[in-house]
Amino acid sequence: MSAVIALDFEQSGIGSKIAALTKAELDVLDFGVIGFDNDGIVRLYNEMESKFAGLSLEKVLGFSLFTVVAPCMNNFMVAQRFDDAAISGGVLDATIDYVLTLRMRPVKVKLRLLASPGDRFRYVLVRRDS
Amino acid sequence: MNALPNIDVATECEALIQFLYLAPVGLAQTSIEGDIVLINPITSQLLMPLSRDGQLSNLFTALENVAPDLRHLVTSFSSARGMICDAHRIRLYAGTRRTTEPETLSLSLLKLDANRLMAVLSDVTLQVNRERLLRQNEAWLNAILTGISDYAIVGLDCAGCVTDCSDGVSRVTGFGTDAVLGRPYSVFYPEDSTTPDRVLDRLREADDNGWSLDNGWRIKADGTRFWGSAMIAPLHEHQIHDGERAYCLIIRDITDKREASEIQRKEQSCDHLTGIANRRAFFDAAELELERAKRSPRPLSLILLDADHFKSVNDRFGHRAGDQVLRHIADTLASTFRQIDVVARIGGEEFAVLLPSTNIEDAMAVAVRLQKLIQAQIVHVEGHDIRYTLSGGVAAMGTDISGLAELMKRADQALYAAKANGRNRIEYWSAK
Repeated sequence: MSAVIALDFEQSGIGSKIAALTKAELDVLDFGVIGFDNDGIVRLYNEMESKFAGLSLEKVLGFSLFTVVAPCMNNFMVAQRFDDAAISGGVLDATIDYVLTLRMRPVKVKLRLLASPGDRFRYVLVRRDS
Repeated sequence: MNALPNIDVATECEALIQFLYLAPVGLAQTSIEGDIVLINPITSQLLMPLSRDGQLSNLFTALENVAPDLRHLVTSFSSARGMICDAHRIRLYAGTRRTTEPETLSLSLLKLDANRLMAVLSDVTLQVNRERLLRQNEAWLNAILTGISDYAIVGLDCAGCVTDCSDGVSRVTGFGTDAVLGRPYSVFYPEDSTTPDRVLDRLREADDNGWSLDNGWRIKADGTRFWGSAMIAPLHEHQIHDGERAYCLIIRDITDKREASEIQRKEQSCDHLTGIANRRAFFDAAELELERAKRSPRPLSLILLDADHFKSVNDRFGHRAGDQVLRHIADTLASTFRQIDVVARIGGEEFAVLLPSTNIEDAMAVAVRLQKLIQAQIVHVEGHDIRYTLSGGVAAMGTDISGLAELMKRADQALYAAKANGRNRIEYWSAK
């Protein structure tokens, strides 16, 4: 475990660092990571997020993020931000307070929304408020 | 004993979780006070944009801005269990950021027992819009097909002035032909229930839709009121010059149907606690009025009012006293403004009044009169004498405003200024 790369949820430029991590390295992070492609299909889903949501990888990978995996984010507060960034071609890096319904319990979280034109994936990072 | 040896509990559990994640309606289980115990993602999707405090710990709090009377609805439900409301319509803010944002939610609340509620929430925007069209058609058929005992037929010119009358006019309204010839048809309406602008609006709407129907108080020659339906239909072909337009107005006395139709209207459009219009009715009326103002420009003002330090009234005297104060505000509003003005409770202690054909000076004057009236009054509740005050913000429709959301925002900014400047006062929005 000495090779663990400690990433901080709040650190700047986190998007490119996450893109460089292997699946095993993503799995030891202490926050959830969801990576999805330009069609909104989930391509990355780390261990922490899987534990939060109670969903295994095969129920998530290859499915649409905002309609199948996390419909609770399909509104102007989250999904629209990604749409707007895609249309304007700008960089999105915003952290918002949100409430997710993990295993049907309302859970206060911080969401960090990341999108950068030209990147392979866009990301939603999820950290539980302590 | 192992009755189901082949079923993996963890797999089952995951399938159930995903089933709830994917359910296309919002589901929530709460305590009787609305504290959320279980909630699925669609509920969060629908509620998060509305939640005043950015949390989802209490259903009533999350919906406070758009359905302020929920708590009251639940506490006044006396049965041990049962449906508290079934597909109750909740109107959201008009003109949100994208066109696919919901405009109307449907909420059902089921009381399971003394401690638990189940809530079902869904976006019914499309359905509501379809129903509105159907309802209009139904109203039209009702107006021409049912209960035709007596009616007055009045010919109108392009300005809405009476050109001729059937015999029925004197039977239904008591007016002789000579008394109404050449006068606008508002002669059949109580003074504060229409304006010269509204008289023309109805003609334009009849042009656009083929007819215009409104039920409400009408007035007889001797000054007494009756509950009447008034339908206006154009007599001309489409696409003619304004001056050649002519209309037919049919007035019927439907006093005997008033009770039934008013009960129905109140259920849909009135705030449960105060009896004045609810958010949904307010937004419907306001959008129609904005349409009218766009088609033929005229002044239009909006007043937003908020009870000062209302929380401390609740804290000191209890929720029943708070409810009493809200009713007092509603009653005072209803008696201060005209019948044509739309008076509504749009939030917990927030009220709105839309004043058609009224400029900002006149709206200010009446808002200040109201504020002084409230300040001078005492509400007696359970042995307490409660004094309270109101703050208000006034804004008027301008050419630089595209819709209701913007007008509301300006009035809200003025209200905020009134609060910041010490409360118990009215401010108006200006470009500065």
